[in-house]
Amino acid sequence: MLQPTTATAGPPISSTAEDTELSPSDASLVERVRAGDADAFATLYDRYARRAYTVALSVCQDDGRAQEAVQDAFLSLWRSSATYQPERGSLAAWLLTGVRHRAIDLMRRNAKHVAHRADEGQLDRVAGPDDLAARTIRREGEARLRASLRSLPAAQQEVIELAFYAELSHREIAAQLGLPSGTVKGRMRLGLGRLRNALGAHAGAVP
Amino acid sequence: MTISDLMFEQSDCGQDAAAYVLGALEDEEAATFRQHMATCALCREEVAVLQLTADALPAAVPQLAAPRQIKRRVMSAVREDAKSARRTARRRRLLAPSRPALAVGAAVAAAAVAVGGFELASGGRAGSRLIQASVTAPSASAVLRLSDGHGELVLRRMPAPSSGRIYEVWLKRAGRQPSPTNTLFSVTSRGSAAVDVPGNLKGVAEILVTPEPLGGSLVPTHSPVIVAQLAST
Repeated sequence: MLQPTTATAGPPISSTAEDTELSPSDASLVERVRAGDADAFATLYDRYARRAYTVALSVCQDDGRAQEAVQDAFLSLWRSSATYQPERGSLAAWLLTGVRHRAIDLMRRNAKHVAHRADEGQLDRVAGPDDLAARTIRREGEARLRASLRSLPAAQQEVIELAFYAELSHREIAAQLGLPSGTVKGRMRLGLGRLRNALGAHAGAVP
Repeated sequence: MTISDLMFEQSDCGQDAAAYVLGALEDEEAATFRQHMATCALCREEVAVLQLTADALPAAVPQLAAPRQIKRRVMSAVREDAKSARRTARRRRLLAPSRPALAVGAAVAAAAVAVGGFELASGGRAGSRLIQASVTAPSASAVLRLSDGHGELVLRRMPAPSSGRIYEVWLKRAGRQPSPTNTLFSVTSRGSAAVDVPGNLKGVAEILVTPEPLGGSLVPTHSPVIVAQLAST
C-alpha cells in the first residue's frame, strides 16, 4: 500500500510541540496572547516556527529574507491577533499563509537584489573532485526543480507550497483562501502533473 | 504521450491522488483513499506517478529547524511590548478618568492591537470618538474617527496593496458576514490615507479592511489587514 513520504535533508529537526491532549489548543493560546501572555505566544512560536521557516524558504530561497518573513508574521500574530478569526479557518493556515504572503512581498520588493541561498557557500573546502562533481550535479537538479516550481501558475504553486512545505490540509488551505476544497485539490493535481512533466523532460533531473 | 500521461489526463476517479501524495488529506480521508486504491488500478497508477514528483519536493527547500536567532529577536520584541503595555497601563490608572488619551505611543498601540481595538478619546464635538484599530503590518497604525454615527479611517505607514490589488472597506454587524462598501483605496508613497467610511455606522460591530482584486469584491478574498472594533452606535 502506497504511503506519502517526506524525505528530509540537513540536520535532524527537533520535534515541535504538536497539539496533544497534554498541550493547550491553538484557540486557548490565542486567547492568552490577546491578553498579552508572552509565554503563550512562545508556545505558539515553538509549535509553528519550523513549518513557517520551511514555507518562507520555499518562496524566498534566501535565508535572510525567509527569517524576516517568519519574524514579521509571528510579530503580527502578537500585535494583531484580533485579525485572526477562528470561524474562517485554523490558526496554522492563517499564520502560515501570512508567512508565505510576506515572503512573496519581500521577494517582490527586492526583485533586483537576488541573493543566493545561504548554503551555496558552505561547500566542504577539502572535497575531492568526485565529491564536487556529484554535489554540482545535485545542485543543478535542485535548481531545475526550484525553477520548475517557480514556473507553475501562481494558483497551483501556492497550493502545493502550502500543502507540502507549510503542511496544511486541503481543507485548511481551502478555508484560508476562500475556495472550494475541490478547487484546491484540482490545482494540486494540475500543478503536480506539470511539475512531473517539467522534471521528466530532464533525465535524472530529480536530485 | 505515455500510457501514464493518458491515464492521468483521462482519470476522473477523484482529485484525491495529488492531495494524498502531498500529505494534504485529513487522516480519515487518507485512510478512505487507501482503501479505495486497493480496488482501483487507475488511482494506484496515478499515486505511483505523482509520488515520484512529490518525493523530489524536499530537495527544493531544505528541511531545517528555524534558526534560533528568529525566536530570540521575536521574543525580545514581544517581552518589550508586554513590559511597555504594563507600564502604560500603570500610567493610565494614575490619570484622571476624564482626561483624554490623545498621545498614542508604541506601547499603547501594542496594548491596543493585542485586544483588537481600543478607544483612545472621546469628547470635543458631541459624540466624537477615536478608536485605535488593529493592523497586521508591524509598523503601520490606523485610527477610526467617529462622529455623529459616521467614520473616517486615518492610516499611517500602511504598506501599499500588492500589484493588482486595492484596499476595500467592509462593515460587519454581529452574527453576519462582512458587507462590502464602495470604498476602495490605496495609500500615498508614505503609507498615509484618510478614508471616509460610508453609511451610518449604527449597529456596526467592526470595520474591516482587506486587499481585494481591482474593482473590489462582494465577498472578502483575504483576511483583514485592519480591524476596528466599536460598540454599537
